[in-house]
Amino acid sequence: MLDNVQKGIAQDPVSRYIDLENREVSLAVLHDEALYEEELKNIFAKSWLMLGHDTEIPNANDYVVRFMGEDQVIVARSPDGKVSVSLNVCPHRGMHVCISDSGNTRAHKCIYHGWAFRPDGSFIGAPVEREQMHGKIKTKKELGLKQARVHLYGGLIFASFDHNGPSFEESLGEMKFYYDMLFQRTDNGLEVLGPPQRLTIDANWKTAGEQSASDGYHMLTLHQSLLERGVMGGEPDSQHESAPAMYGINVAGNGHTLRCIPADTTFTMMAGSTTEDMTDAQRLELMPPPGITKELLPQLAKHMSPEQMHVLAKAPPVVGNIFPNVGILFIYVPLRDGSLGSGLVLHTMNPRGPHHFEWSTWFFAEKDTPENVKAMMRAACAQGVGTSGVIEQDDSDTWPHMSESARGVVGRTQTMKYQAILGQTRAADWPDKAEVYEGFSKDDCQWNWWKNYHAIMTR
Amino acid sequence: MSTIEKTAKSERAEVIFGSPIYNQVAAFLIREAHLLDHRLLNDWAKTLAEDLVYFVPVRVTRRVQDFNHEFAITGHFDDDYASMLVRVDRLVNTTSAWSEDPASRVRRFVSNIMVYETDTPDEYEVVSYLLLTRNRADARDYKHLSAERHDRLRWVGDRFLLTNRKVLLDQVVLGMPNLAIFL
Repeated sequence: MLDNVQKGIAQDPVSRYIDLENREVSLAVLHDEALYEEELKNIFAKSWLMLGHDTEIPNANDYVVRFMGEDQVIVARSPDGKVSVSLNVCPHRGMHVCISDSGNTRAHKCIYHGWAFRPDGSFIGAPVEREQMHGKIKTKKELGLKQARVHLYGGLIFASFDHNGPSFEESLGEMKFYYDMLFQRTDNGLEVLGPPQRLTIDANWKTAGEQSASDGYHMLTLHQSLLERGVMGGEPDSQHESAPAMYGINVAGNGHTLRCIPADTTFTMMAGSTTEDMTDAQRLELMPPPGITKELLPQLAKHMSPEQMHVLAKAPPVVGNIFPNVGILFIYVPLRDGSLGSGLVLHTMNPRGPHHFEWSTWFFAEKDTPENVKAMMRAACAQGVGTSGVIEQDDSDTWPHMSESARGVVGRTQTMKYQAILGQTRAADWPDKAEVYEGFSKDDCQWNWWKNYHAIMTR
Repeated sequence: MSTIEKTAKSERAEVIFGSPIYNQVAAFLIREAHLLDHRLLNDWAKTLAEDLVYFVPVRVTRRVQDFNHEFAITGHFDDDYASMLVRVDRLVNTTSAWSEDPASRVRRFVSNIMVYETDTPDEYEVVSYLLLTRNRADARDYKHLSAERHDRLRWVGDRFLLTNRKVLLDQVVLGMPNLAIFL
């Protein structure tokens, strides 16, 4: 691959950077500006992207402004309850129609010439109706805001500008089996605990993207401070070799990945004893999956298949990603009253050029969680993840370094390596869904992310 | 006790600029900034009350009619005394708090201090401006932020303790990669 780069062999912009055989990705992908433009076109303008949650726009005419790649979109609820995603670009002269990032309005009126649009993006009209200032060449129907396809999944608002592409569920493939265990498992579902944190990271979006694809290995060293202080169950003198929570079941498909951590490992870490001899029902009773209270436990059996119940009891999914740019953490965290609660977190990485991205962080809870518990979860999330999170402040520190490495011409010839291969291996009692990697958390999931990246960029 | 002067509009009694109480509050804030800038975090932790509430709300951009309603219920910090001690412990007592190793060089400029009496004797509300500059490693530029702090201080006989801090940032998207530092 290095030879190809040096000889300048004509290849598509991506293939010369990704060595499929040896599982290496040139650092140049973090730097190349032409590649970035291709990513905006092939990934961000074509994939299902997460924009937020429908509980952020609960009332008719509520809206938030979010990003699909570098395209601003208005995410709005119509009076009939429908959620629409409209490009925030006025069809008249290209002004932003919506100039705040959230609110409630019956009509989005462009401040430039007054063109007005409904929450669903349809064109109401231009001022001085009798003069027909939108002209006669295009009908009103053609002058609405450009629409994205919308799909609500567990209330999460996904949108895609590819009107001919696969449905959202098709794009998840067999990984939907696992995501359902996070997002669609109770009668009333999830809600956000407030608007997202937003940060600027001086790095290429893929530094965070590929890491979110179930890099478990970094926990030992990057998050060592938490092991040192026993926050994540380690002993003060934890050696890397004892590797708490490094063994589990990683699953992957279409660049989507999740780490399923054995409930027994978590329980041993938190409580110091084992669940080895318990039945599934007993395990779930003792330690419901993150986000599920004892009261909500009966609803799981209603919404989950027996196979899913077994996964939840044995090794619930806790961290991972949705390709291209969603990070997931549904983890156990101690709450301020001393109880073992959870933090339910989603991130997006929104590119702002090849050298920067905006990192957004939402906190969630099941709607039917008691209000005082929600307040504690909100606080525990802010303490653990995101802007000031004692876990994630260290993650945000590594990404800029990788982009800096790619600034150098020699650095750019170096590669990110995914050569620790576990290989697919599945216990007899684990469902045959997606690629399954049971054992030590190696590079298989992240490689799945890059293979999917490569496939999308070269199709 | 200081001379108290009721301001025209506010119901809270403002503590007069330059009075002994005012000066003590200003001294607290200046000394606190020094402790934080010099990473004397154990000493800083001793200035926190055990009923501390420390909150830095997320901010959104609203139309001007809602300018006073831009602060959200989610926070960049959402802490109490116990969680603050966890933070300090991680920064001071571990060898792997990487986001601040090497440490940022942070300087906190506290100004525009206004002090108000509260219903509780010996407790004061303090509004001040914070300008914070932050530079790390060999970065050419500073990351910086400005904010308005709304504090509540409690006089415990010989010094003030911080019982409540709300930091109202002037940014919706933070220009820095984290808040591994305290505001």
